[in-house]
Amino acid sequence: MRGSVSLTDIYAKYHEQVKFIPIYIREAHPVDGWWFGGNLLTKKLMKTFAPKVAMDVHDPQTMDERRQVAGTCEASLSYGVRTYVDVMDDAVNKAYAGWPTRLYLIDTDGVVVYAAGLGPYDFHPSKLEKAIENYL
Amino acid sequence: MITDRKSATTWQKKYDLQAPKVGDTAPDFSLCDANGRNSVRLSDYRQKMPVALIFGSFT
Repeated sequence: MRGSVSLTDIYAKYHEQVKFIPIYIREAHPVDGWWFGGNLLTKKLMKTFAPKVAMDVHDPQTMDERRQVAGTCEASLSYGVRTYVDVMDDAVNKAYAGWPTRLYLIDTDGVVVYAAGLGPYDFHPSKLEKAIENYL
Repeated sequence: MITDRKSATTWQKKYDLQAPKVGDTAPDFSLCDANGRNSVRLSDYRQKMPVALIFGSFT
């Protein structure tokens, strides 16, 4: 999570005015994919800069597995926000190019008013907060 | 499957082309939560509340 503002802070501040929909998508760095846990340097960097990120998760192969990991993730991150789970064909992930992480703000007409760039480099909750402030 | 930086970049470039930009109508969707019991549909919030979408995973 980049910057001094966290999604938890933004949710706490705006959840009565904005609907927050966290969407669990295909794993970014699962053990059976582009795994960071096998490299000491990346493992240390992740532990330092993203301590809540799991390093021992395999990419779910069924919807039940995906829901299970999403639930564990939701509990671990303790956002207090219900997490929704993308389907196995990654339809929503693909429609929004959400992998590995991405932020959007949609207005009440269903139009995008903030679209972060590709994650993880343009994952900035502070920019989402600014967009919310500007919109409200 | 994304197994390295190269395949990750390929995936992102492919799907970013069709991803909504500022000013575009957001693609509608309906998804269930981790329990599979509660669903959400993006369009249900039209004319009601703005929506923040947060994509991510556990790793």
